[in-house]
Amino acid sequence: MNGSLIWTIVAGVLNIGIVLLVAPLCQGVLRKVTARVQSRQGPPLAQPYFDLLKLLGKEDIESGQSPVMQRFAAYLSLATVLTVACLLPMGFAAPMNHAGDVILLIYLLTLCGVCTLLSGLAAGSTYSLVGISREMMSMIALEPLFAIALIVGAVHSGSFRLDTVLRGSVYTAGGVPWSGMIMLGVILLSFQAFVQRVPFDISEAETELMEGPLMEYSGPKLALFKYAHMAKLVIYSALFVALFVPWGSALMFPFGWLLFWGKVLVLVLLVTLVAATHARYRIDQALRFFASLFVVALVALVLASYGH
Amino acid sequence: MSFVSKLEETLICLKAGRVTLPYPAQAEPLPDKFRGRPIFDAAKCIGCAGCANNCPAREILVYDVCQEVRVLQYLGRRCTYCGRCADVCPEKAITMSLEFENATNQIADLGQKLELFMSTCQRCGRCFKGAAALDELKMKGYRSDDLQSERWVYRAHAFLETEPAVADIEIELD
Amino acid sequence: MLKNLCQKMFGRSLWVYHANSGGCNGCDIEVINVLTPYYDVERFGIKLVGSPRHADVMLCQGPAMRSTAQSLKRAYEAMPAPKLVFAIGSCACGGGIWFDSYSVLGPVEKVLPVSYYIPGCPPRPEAIIYGVAVALGLVDKRTAPVVFKQLEFPIPQYHPGDLRSDGGMVVYEKLEKI
Repeated sequence: MNGSLIWTIVAGVLNIGIVLLVAPLCQGVLRKVTARVQSRQGPPLAQPYFDLLKLLGKEDIESGQSPVMQRFAAYLSLATVLTVACLLPMGFAAPMNHAGDVILLIYLLTLCGVCTLLSGLAAGSTYSLVGISREMMSMIALEPLFAIALIVGAVHSGSFRLDTVLRGSVYTAGGVPWSGMIMLGVILLSFQAFVQRVPFDISEAETELMEGPLMEYSGPKLALFKYAHMAKLVIYSALFVALFVPWGSALMFPFGWLLFWGKVLVLVLLVTLVAATHARYRIDQALRFFASLFVVALVALVLASYGH
Repeated sequence: MSFVSKLEETLICLKAGRVTLPYPAQAEPLPDKFRGRPIFDAAKCIGCAGCANNCPAREILVYDVCQEVRVLQYLGRRCTYCGRCADVCPEKAITMSLEFENATNQIADLGQKLELFMSTCQRCGRCFKGAAALDELKMKGYRSDDLQSERWVYRAHAFLETEPAVADIEIELD
Repeated sequence: MLKNLCQKMFGRSLWVYHANSGGCNGCDIEVINVLTPYYDVERFGIKLVGSPRHADVMLCQGPAMRSTAQSLKRAYEAMPAPKLVFAIGSCACGGGIWFDSYSVLGPVEKVLPVSYYIPGCPPRPEAIIYGVAVALGLVDKRTAPVVFKQLEFPIPQYHPGDLRSDGGMVVYEKLEKI
């Protein structure tokens, strides 16, 4: 028991450390590839590290309606994302498999979105409130999609345990895995919204249209929010790869691990290309899009429960 | 359909390559007749204040300190680099240079101040500039350490007075 | 040590907030030009942000007008330290052509403490990049005040009452210069 506890702690710290290190690098890749697609030389790959370090060195202006809630929201956002990192397999088995199941994962992913709401409410300015109202609307339409994907996997594999579900269980139906393929399509189409990038970054990164819920944050708290935003990309990519593209993860240690991160990188590149070539959707267009995807996902759930 | 158009758009942008101009590494060629900062040439300026008259931002100030010295001061703060001063200058003393890299942390760095020696007309007392720099050197009043010149300037003043200011020295007529 | 690292990183990633307080938008367009692919300034890590609370540098353009002076001051106070203010264009540096208009208070430095001036009407995008490089300490500035004097003054003038003759030589007593 002691050995497995120590292994859990070490693996958890390792997971968190990897996510913390890799998240700004993925963001850097995103910015560089966006720049190249726009025919310009972009920032150096390590630019988000510089950004975060600079933000840590700035003065922290406590403004907004309730500074205590602002601090809480800032810490909570990064903490939630890192907790999800402990639950995911990143090339090796997830460290906290026994600590929770699929329902916990769904709740934690929703909590990531709720942190944005808390941040906007704590700031209390008009722009923040409109930003979080849009985030609320899109969250209502969006979180069920990933929940349905995980539940389809759970239905197919018969249990809610994380290590059975997050092993490509959506495909383990008899015959042609219709529900798995439908869910793959649905999640691919809405992936941009989960990681809050263009064309669906309606609330948070929307500093061009409105300042959004992050408007009143400066200095270290902004660094925490930006870090959480970057880490979400890595977390969701890892979740997607574990759930939908698991082939090859059973290889020996270096190759399985490298293959995993290669798949994550491919997904990040896909996100970048879509983000660089699209414009931002309005909230009503986005909601219509998500609603149609939700209907398709429900069809997939029905198919899964019938064993297809 | 729109997906294909996005792919085409990406390919077009990628084909353009990298269009960023390597500015700090290499300077870019300037267009013809580019107007940068105006440079005032003090050797040619005659102190006519035509530039000050014509400047739309009232950026060139011309004032007399004393009878011999006229100051032309160009504060660079509001200059819009329009070039009207260079257009109107009769001696072509103002050139619009090609310098546009004028960033500074003290705005007084952009100023140019010319203190010009103007000698006085014997008859009316107004000031004028000599035709060339060498003529200026020979003018009375130019060298302040020269006693002869001092007395000449003094003489001009004395000529205008009704009573002789100096009684005991001889004033030689030149 | 972390503080030192953070301060060193300040020069590698500047976040910029653009505030136009009444100008003609010429310098606006040049500032936005600087962010386009041709003069891409994002390669130095400079990003345009929409909120002064996120920004390090405020790019002020246009003279300080009576109507916008208050908002400009509020935006400046909303920025977290350390902060810089760049005054871009002739209007922000010295009031521009509109210096004597009824609604213009003067240059931006009547309202905010300006750190760097980038004159021009409008300044070329290269001039703006040069100004940013001067602020970061990468290059030296190229302007210096010029004073040309043809003679040293005050011109010594002696009062006629101090003249006396001394056997053919004129002697000036009281050699102080007026």
